[in-house]
Amino acid sequence: MKLLNMPKRHGGLAVMSLIAAVFLLDALWIPVKAELAQHLLERSWLRTLAGEPDAKPWPWADTRAVAILEVPRLGLREIVLEGSSGRNLAFGPTLVNATQLDESADRILSGHRDTHFSFLKELQTGDLLRLRTVKEIRDYRVSWQEAVDSRIQQLVIDDSVERLTLLTCYPFDAPTSGGPLRWVVTAIPES
Amino acid sequence: MPKHTKSTDNNRPGQARSIRDELEKRAWVQNPDLANRLNNRLEGGKRHYDNPRRILRWQDRILLTLGFVLLVLLVIRAETSIADDAFWGLQLTNDSGVYSELAINTGIRLDITGLVSRVEITQSFTNHGNHWAEGIYRFPLPQGAAVDRMRIKVGERLLEGEIQEKESARRTYQQARDAGQTATIVEQQRRNQFETRLANIGPGENIEITIAYLQNVSYSDFSYHLRLPMTFTPRWEPGQQAVGGQQNTMQQAPDLIPSSSTNGHGFTLDANLVTAVEFAAIESRYHDVDIRQVNNGYQIELLNPNEISDRDFVLSWTPTLESHPSVSLTTFNDGDSVYAQLMLAPPLADAISPQAREVILIIDTSGSMEGDSLGQAKAALLHALNSLGPDDYFNLLQFNSETERLFDQSIAVTPTSLYIAQNFINRLQANGGTNMAPALNMALGMPEVPQLMRQVVFITDGAVGNENELLQKVAENLGNSRMFTVAIGHAPNSWFMRKTAEIGRGSFVHIGKPDDVETQMSALWGRIQLPALTDICVNWGDAAEYFPEVIPDLYAGEPLWLLARLPTEPTMIGLCGELNDQHWELNVNGWDAVATGQGGDNLAKLWARKKIESLEDGLMFGADPELTQLEITGLALDYGLLTRYTSMVAVDRTPRRNSGDSLAVSEIPGLLPAGSSAQLAGYPSTATGWLAQLILSLFVLLLATCMLLFSGSRLPLTKITAKT
Repeated sequence: MKLLNMPKRHGGLAVMSLIAAVFLLDALWIPVKAELAQHLLERSWLRTLAGEPDAKPWPWADTRAVAILEVPRLGLREIVLEGSSGRNLAFGPTLVNATQLDESADRILSGHRDTHFSFLKELQTGDLLRLRTVKEIRDYRVSWQEAVDSRIQQLVIDDSVERLTLLTCYPFDAPTSGGPLRWVVTAIPES
Repeated sequence: MPKHTKSTDNNRPGQARSIRDELEKRAWVQNPDLANRLNNRLEGGKRHYDNPRRILRWQDRILLTLGFVLLVLLVIRAETSIADDAFWGLQLTNDSGVYSELAINTGIRLDITGLVSRVEITQSFTNHGNHWAEGIYRFPLPQGAAVDRMRIKVGERLLEGEIQEKESARRTYQQARDAGQTATIVEQQRRNQFETRLANIGPGENIEITIAYLQNVSYSDFSYHLRLPMTFTPRWEPGQQAVGGQQNTMQQAPDLIPSSSTNGHGFTLDANLVTAVEFAAIESRYHDVDIRQVNNGYQIELLNPNEISDRDFVLSWTPTLESHPSVSLTTFNDGDSVYAQLMLAPPLADAISPQAREVILIIDTSGSMEGDSLGQAKAALLHALNSLGPDDYFNLLQFNSETERLFDQSIAVTPTSLYIAQNFINRLQANGGTNMAPALNMALGMPEVPQLMRQVVFITDGAVGNENELLQKVAENLGNSRMFTVAIGHAPNSWFMRKTAEIGRGSFVHIGKPDDVETQMSALWGRIQLPALTDICVNWGDAAEYFPEVIPDLYAGEPLWLLARLPTEPTMIGLCGELNDQHWELNVNGWDAVATGQGGDNLAKLWARKKIESLEDGLMFGADPELTQLEITGLALDYGLLTRYTSMVAVDRTPRRNSGDSLAVSEIPGLLPAGSSAQLAGYPSTATGWLAQLILSLFVLLLATCMLLFSGSRLPLTKITAKT
């Protein structure tokens, strides 16, 4: 192997390349996993629709598919998971509400801005959002979009209001993660 | 400029060619030892470098630098591209765009009675635009505050906020706006932020906004504290732009920068601390204040308004603690009923003899706890182990889909048992579902250690569906135990956790950010270590409706606060409890009756808030929803409260000119305030940052390949002799 026969001073280069390659694969794995998981979740969703109360996509999962979010204008379809933990967010958009989706009026979904919810930057006021839950199909229209600071503001979940809120990190094109700003898209039911 | 400097350097004879060369040379001169050693090694050493000036080849240097950058970027995941753009104040929208106005005058008034403060803030603005505008006024609110009064003066017109039934408030606002009237409705979609919209503001018009809210006073380190966020106050410096969040938005607003001669921008802060007892100390932590004693308490005034700027205003006052629990009682008679606030202050920590306890820790290890949450929870548990005394007993339970206990029953604190527990905690892994009921049953069903008070600490981020069932189980099996609940995460089922703690006569902590786990948990452990007064009972002497309905224990460093409504003025209120294992009794005969102006009506409002909360709780236990809605709406209208069924709206009855003109209006959905019932949620982290990582690693790979290809090329040999 050429790599092994390299002069000693190339050792640094080789180590560096190896580390870079590992980071590269690690980075690539995130969008690949995000995409793959959506396919695996399809079955969980079908089982949920069939009436199974706790249709876990895999036996050790702490989540299940609870809804389908569709954006007809962008031709998008995402499977929404229960529980907004970091682990679930890797697989799909998640429901922030602690209550059951069909019992919540004020529905809040969050997703990663660089995987499932990257489309949020393309949303326009007036866009149609379709949410399929076990019990119903509901259409919402985007009515308000804004950036908020998560350090000073908290979301209020007020079930006396019917609305759908989509959350993701902001700014969309920031290279690194972990910033304090969030992009909040609010949609109201179409009457 | 740099170019110029460089060229002069180059022209100077005998000088090094670049600044770096120069610096290197200087370093060698200053450290001849190093230069000698280097030269020795270069000449006598085995390996010969092509360029003896450098120990590392240029490729290695670049690689090292890049590697370092990559590492730093991956370790510090900092958001780089945008600054904080939160804006407080008045933002106006007209046909030509969005612009922000800074407050010309700001006045703050605080009325503090007992554990609550009424905060009234008045800010005035001018519409500097040339067109009719719609405005959004945003204001930061402290935790847990909800605006209940609002007064807006636009030009010569005065709008007074009015609590209305929700639907009718909404209709009122929309009708008024469409008819070209000045109107406003209070909405509080995001917690800790007050936001109101004003339609139809004329060009050059002055706007004065007054809002008022009730804020709870906190207690820690044996002092009461009131903290007011001051981020909304623009910092004025003569001839300069306002500093802070407003900078970005300022660009579009012309003529806003006041000249140094402008003296219109004022700031005042007055506080009125109503008390019957003298305080050991009163201080403002970050600002100079003037404190005067008046007949019903203290008057505090801010001395130097210019220093306010970016620091929160924190007022602290310290009561004189005694060696026994002390009681203070305040009443307010509104003619129909009497409202009473009873505050039970714990004795000095030294006066409490520590009781041996049995502590059962329950930790949620379901999949959702993975990562930060579990890490922080582990730290919290280890912290808990350290805070156990030698006479205490303890046990540990973990649950996900299954429940596992560390010991069959609680065991004494010994080095061995602690060691086993530490190992158990370190081995915890997050996986599986959230099955809460068996864990609660197991904890409460374990044989009790005789003579010891059992404290169950329940840590979870989970959501539960069968709340009523679980609560009933807790109520039935609680016995003499105390339940403390700790909710971790963005949107845990806070209602269930709070209720469990209430029924369990303990306390509830919600930790929204992983960073706060350590501090909040330390505070909790510190608190529950020293129960001062237990099994408390209160005899109001009449058919009182009081809250909390289940009276918790009194712990060191945390006062207990009861609110009651009585049909008539009481003659005597009796208290009893267990103090240091002995029966304790106290009769209260005298108290302060406060009037409306002194914050007495606050008591009524606070009581009504508690009452509404308990009515809402009733919904969970099968109360009739329609009846509950009627009752809550009635209370909200009587006491002037924002709830899930009522909103606050203000309309100027006279239509204004130009109403037919276009008014840039953006529809915010659900113009509805959050009542006390609304759940809170933090914002989850929603970015993976994979793209940055991908680009960086690709870049490094590419560079490494390039270097491998070009590494054959040699650099010309030069040697610099160091001057010694």
